[in-house]
Amino acid sequence: MFTSTQIILAVMVAVYIVAKVFKISTELSLFLAAISGALAGGAGIPARHIVEGAFTYLDICLIFITATLFMNLFKESGGVAFVIRGILTKFYRHKSILFILITFLLLLPGALTGAGSVTVLITGGMIAVVLNYMGIPKPKTAAIIFILAGLSAAAPPVSLWAMLTAAGVNMPYVGFFLPLLIPCILLALLTIFILGWKAKPANLEKALQELPASPRGMNWLKIILPFSVFFFLVVAGRIWPFSFPILGLPLMFIISATVTIIISPAKLNILKISRETVEQLLPLIGTLTCVGILVQIMTLTGVRGLIAITVVTLPLTAVILSMSVVLPVSEAVLMWGAAPVLGVPLVLLFNTIGLNPIIALAGMSIIWPLGDALPPTAIIGRLTKDTIGMKEPYSQMLKYCIIPAILIIIAGICMVLFSKELSFLTML
Amino acid sequence: MAYVKLTTLRKIVFSLAGVALMLFAGISFYRIRHLKEPVVLGQGVTQVKKLSDYFKGIKGTINDSYVYMLEGEEAGGTVLVIGGTHPEEPAARLAAWIFTENALLEQGKLLVILSANRSATTVTRLGGAYPPDYTIETPWGGQKFRMGDRWSNPLDQWPDPEVYIHYPSRQELAYIDIRNLNRTWPGRPNGTLTEKTCFAIIQLIKEENVDIAIDLHEAELQYPVISTIVAHQNGQDLAAMASMMISGMEGFDIGMENSPEALHGLSHREIGDHTDAISLLLEAPEPMLDATRGRTDRALLLEGKDEFIVKAGKHGLLFEKMDENGWPIDKRVGRHCSTILQIIELWSEEHQEKALIIKNVPRYKEIIAKGTGAFLHNPATAASNRIKYE
Repeated sequence: MFTSTQIILAVMVAVYIVAKVFKISTELSLFLAAISGALAGGAGIPARHIVEGAFTYLDICLIFITATLFMNLFKESGGVAFVIRGILTKFYRHKSILFILITFLLLLPGALTGAGSVTVLITGGMIAVVLNYMGIPKPKTAAIIFILAGLSAAAPPVSLWAMLTAAGVNMPYVGFFLPLLIPCILLALLTIFILGWKAKPANLEKALQELPASPRGMNWLKIILPFSVFFFLVVAGRIWPFSFPILGLPLMFIISATVTIIISPAKLNILKISRETVEQLLPLIGTLTCVGILVQIMTLTGVRGLIAITVVTLPLTAVILSMSVVLPVSEAVLMWGAAPVLGVPLVLLFNTIGLNPIIALAGMSIIWPLGDALPPTAIIGRLTKDTIGMKEPYSQMLKYCIIPAILIIIAGICMVLFSKELSFLTML
Repeated sequence: MAYVKLTTLRKIVFSLAGVALMLFAGISFYRIRHLKEPVVLGQGVTQVKKLSDYFKGIKGTINDSYVYMLEGEEAGGTVLVIGGTHPEEPAARLAAWIFTENALLEQGKLLVILSANRSATTVTRLGGAYPPDYTIETPWGGQKFRMGDRWSNPLDQWPDPEVYIHYPSRQELAYIDIRNLNRTWPGRPNGTLTEKTCFAIIQLIKEENVDIAIDLHEAELQYPVISTIVAHQNGQDLAAMASMMISGMEGFDIGMENSPEALHGLSHREIGDHTDAISLLLEAPEPMLDATRGRTDRALLLEGKDEFIVKAGKHGLLFEKMDENGWPIDKRVGRHCSTILQIIELWSEEHQEKALIIKNVPRYKEIIAKGTGAFLHNPATAASNRIKYE
């Protein structure tokens, strides 16, 4: 079984590389790799598995589309320009206060929803403009937003990696709040202060001159209302979980978008904005769909198991050290699928050798999101680049991510190694 | 011009390929959702009720499952066997099937549910690459069963919240577990489909004065709670005794674990907390659930052989032994049948007035010798009024 599965894996990797050499898009390359894997594995063209796999990330695709539509409508209504002008006017002299405020604004959406993409889409674009006017170049700005978006996704109360892994080992999702919150806040602050060290107080006059004017009739109430509706819907589900209907994030974003349309001082061309939104997200949705297909075929043919068994049977020191590479790479290939594939066996392994599984899993959960900047998917990285309108090569952003990424990896691995000593954080 | 034509052609080809994929996959999804699994009612079955007989709120839904009642002439205790909580654990359903088609009650009452979460039998796990169905060979041909998933079908319950807050404990669980029947006990009447299903079964337990509720499961070998009886504190003595007796008499070992008080939503915790019934959960090993498994197919499901998991075992990563012989379905079904029978026999010895006397159910060794299929009955030769379809 080992040899045949290794051959299938080799075929998939080879087809992916060849497809990339021929400049075929990432999503189609992933699709071709999946099909070649199925053929090499003797499964033919498994229609059922291809379609089933394509639906794996349907909910996430819907979140992407509706959240982006909401933000695009908000932007077109003049809300973004108004907010940036407001923030700059109020805090342009106080860099530290601005950074702390920005950290909070970037951590909140992802922490509540579990999706770094929501952070990028909801607050990332606006924050980017503020950072740019503080003299931070766009690649550095993108790195700040990407890293903080990843930490926001790992932050409590909703950390999908921790939740999916915990569910896989039948462990209740309790005791994770502080083990996730403390490193996420500390690392987020470290990141913004390190990367924004050279930022200067914004030149207010120049910035205001360059910024688009906000439309007449726009005010803070109209800014706050759509976001308040969104956060109310999220929080209401927590406060009254047994009486408030389950709406799901996509519908929450649609409701907030509707509020934006109703109160917008500018007339919005909804059809045009919707079409542009879908066009903007098509590569991401395509990638997610094809990643789902790839994971399904990898599971069908045993390639997924081969990767998992290879990782978890390495010597323990190698397992822990290799987490710095394996976790981000698994995220890059499988996205949240990495949690059940690698998270489950790793947590069981850690539990077996007497480490605290909650702290260890929390440590792994802060490392995983780093993979969202890596190819083949690079979903959040690409989303960040697109959202802030960065024209420089993508590698520029990655370069600035290196120092915060190293700090995050060290913190995560330390949490695994010293999980027993840190078990007081679980409050259990 | 040529470029435009090429682009148009490419779009047509991709569209046609997409339609073809949807068509073939759609047919497969439709067939599985509507596959009829025959149940030949054994002589012991005296009534067939539905969950909606106990809770009207579930009537007309896909989870209004059958409850098979087997009653002895002499009054005694009542035991509920729950199969199909997680349909992706087929030994649980098959063991319940064997009881329904074969058991004869001389004393007491046995209630059996084959598809506790029927919705979850109609879907397979996204990304899991499960086969859509599997066939158990019988002396009269093969009987096909739906593979199923751990969670209710999103077609029946969707969307999920960002985080699932369990009722009534308010414990936070993974969002997807709001569709997991073994995380939604005790359920609530105005909840989701899965919560309503648990509520209906709780009502059944109360109305039928169930003495013992046994929830059947299978687990991956890397999961510490395996080959065991998980018992609520009200059933610890019974489970411990059953564990000892089985290890001595039946030819296999099974452990016993206490139901953690802080872990909510599971049957072994909530049935015991919210009803008078003793609540037990049985786990058998199922290699196909392991994250390190190799090729995912019907052979793995039914034979339970996998080299990758053997390697995991050699590295001390498993909580159950695994060798080249694997964990075939007959072994897993046999474990459940013997464990249920032992529990009932021990209960009956201690509670004469609430005893159950059950005959004609094969035990572990007999099922391994003859195969699970030997105890499934041919619907083609059964009277039409003695057949139900799951």
